[in-house]
Amino acid sequence: MSSPTQLSQSPAMTAVEFEFEGRRYKGFVARKGSDTWYHVDGRTWKETTNTRRRSSAGTSTLEDPGLVKAPMPGKIVKLMKAVGAEVKAGEVVVVMEAMKMEYTLKSASDGRITEIRCSVGEQVSLGTELVRLEINS
Amino acid sequence: MNMKDRRIQKLAIANRGEVAVRIIHACRELGIRTVLLHSEVDQATRAWRLADERVCIGPAPSAESYLNIEACVRGALAGGADAVHPGFGFLSENAAFARAVIDAGLIWVGPPADAIEAAGDKISAKKLVADAQAPTVPGYMGEDQRIETLVEQAARIGFPVIVKAAAGGGGRGMKVIRSRSEAPDLIASAQREGQAAFGSPVVFLEKYLDRAKHIEVQVFGDFTGEVSYLMERECSVQRRHQKIIEEALSPSLTPELRRAMGEAAVRLAEKAKYESAGTVEFLLQDDKFYFLEMNTRLQVEHPVTEMVLGVDLVKAQILNAARAFQVWPQESLQARGHSIECRIYAEDAYAGGLPSTGLLVGTHWPEGPGRRFEVGVEAGDEVTPFYDPMIAKVIVWDESRLRAIRKMQSVLADSVVMGVETNIPFLREMLAHPEFTEGRMTTQFVGQHFPEGLAGADYLARRHNDLTRAFANAAKAQASRVAGEAMGGSDPTRSVWSTPWRLM
Repeated sequence: MSSPTQLSQSPAMTAVEFEFEGRRYKGFVARKGSDTWYHVDGRTWKETTNTRRRSSAGTSTLEDPGLVKAPMPGKIVKLMKAVGAEVKAGEVVVVMEAMKMEYTLKSASDGRITEIRCSVGEQVSLGTELVRLEINS
Repeated sequence: MNMKDRRIQKLAIANRGEVAVRIIHACRELGIRTVLLHSEVDQATRAWRLADERVCIGPAPSAESYLNIEACVRGALAGGADAVHPGFGFLSENAAFARAVIDAGLIWVGPPADAIEAAGDKISAKKLVADAQAPTVPGYMGEDQRIETLVEQAARIGFPVIVKAAAGGGGRGMKVIRSRSEAPDLIASAQREGQAAFGSPVVFLEKYLDRAKHIEVQVFGDFTGEVSYLMERECSVQRRHQKIIEEALSPSLTPELRRAMGEAAVRLAEKAKYESAGTVEFLLQDDKFYFLEMNTRLQVEHPVTEMVLGVDLVKAQILNAARAFQVWPQESLQARGHSIECRIYAEDAYAGGLPSTGLLVGTHWPEGPGRRFEVGVEAGDEVTPFYDPMIAKVIVWDESRLRAIRKMQSVLADSVVMGVETNIPFLREMLAHPEFTEGRMTTQFVGQHFPEGLAGADYLARRHNDLTRAFANAAKAQASRVAGEAMGGSDPTRSVWSTPWRLM
């Protein structure tokens, strides 16, 4: 059933030709859920219509500082703190692993841990709330 | 071992991704059928579609599939294979796996298990390196731990010197000494830290290589014991010991150094009774080279060697395993032109290299002369968080290094991956850096010049400018125009989002 030349040809990408400052460019566009992907002149980027999700570029500044969320899908490797523990801003709270690399998730502010919503070894998806803090005011 | 019938008719691949595809290509050319041993989540991959047969060997986590020796051997037997190729990573450097494969009556495509142990293990490799008279990083590991002795030894090694707690690790109890005057204080401090952190004040000294290049020699041994070296690759562009850009040959070697390193690597391989493809890694600083480690397998970056020498290392491995191969005579191996490889990682360069996973909605690799694309996933496939983030490799060849860099820039500019973020913009920034174009890069290159990848407003501004904004608007306008036409009933299949579009 498999043929040696069975290659997909990116059926979801569409070509768009357009002119800018006197030059013609050909780019591509594709849509996946709420994301629209663009490629032109050596650059690829996406725009997300659902404004509640953070954009791919840069880190979000509007996140709740009392929450530590999974910035990517992956596995929980280590929980550095227990419920009730005091943490300082920048202190490592959770260690995650994705694609064979470890990533440390830090607290955004000083506070006390009120809830841990994950366990070591658990596979979590992007945006999962892992740890909740009560922020020191 | 049965030496009579070594013909391979069906080969099992205990790996995934682009290297599985690479091995399938080699087998197809040799008229060998392939059985892909894959995990439960790896059905939507290119290797799965290309393999002649497939056997699922376990769940997604590699410990239960690709790293499970018993599952791999059983899978190979169930698939009716007579040989196993381990690819790279996973079990490729595991002597126990090599033995299990052979004990099951199968042919192991790789070095003998004893050679894997002798050359791959850090401790036994030390003895081998001494026997082969390959230089190692100069140091002092003596029992005499008096400060005066250590200062004398540091001066003998030559500053800068790094002092490390013998029981340590993770950077604690580690200091760089740049001159004799600061040596006594720093050594005493390292001893105190070692005592406090690890319960032992014993330290050792090593020459600190602060501007070393990573240069590795490709060797190949055939089953008769003949070993040749296939010149070197430079892989100085790496981050957290993960290589990103590799090239052949290195812009930093004189013919004399090349021969000295090549011959040292061959001596090492001969001492280990090495067979098949292997790589001897060195650090190079101030025209002196030091042994780092030996990798007893095919390397990710093997294509750049193939491009400049006109060889096929994977076919050679398979033919050697079938006892139907003679290594290329040393004098026949002459490099021509220059080759560069860029590893395409599914990660967000603008967010410090955070992994990016998800469904690939579209890819385009711009074909052309002197270009090679080793691709593991295609549109419609899922990039999962379970494995290495490398989804493809882009390799170019051209007549000179400068032309190869220019070609790579142009190829990367036209390479499209939609659905996950990639490091392509990061690769292009690195390729454009003068330290790289001039060939002066060291293993510190990424850390010094791109400590945060492309995180920062500067790079974001370069990604989003008037042109890209205008393009996005044009694309939206086209989408609504087509949608409008479709609403008018002219042709409902012509939605811009669903129209199959073939790249020329």
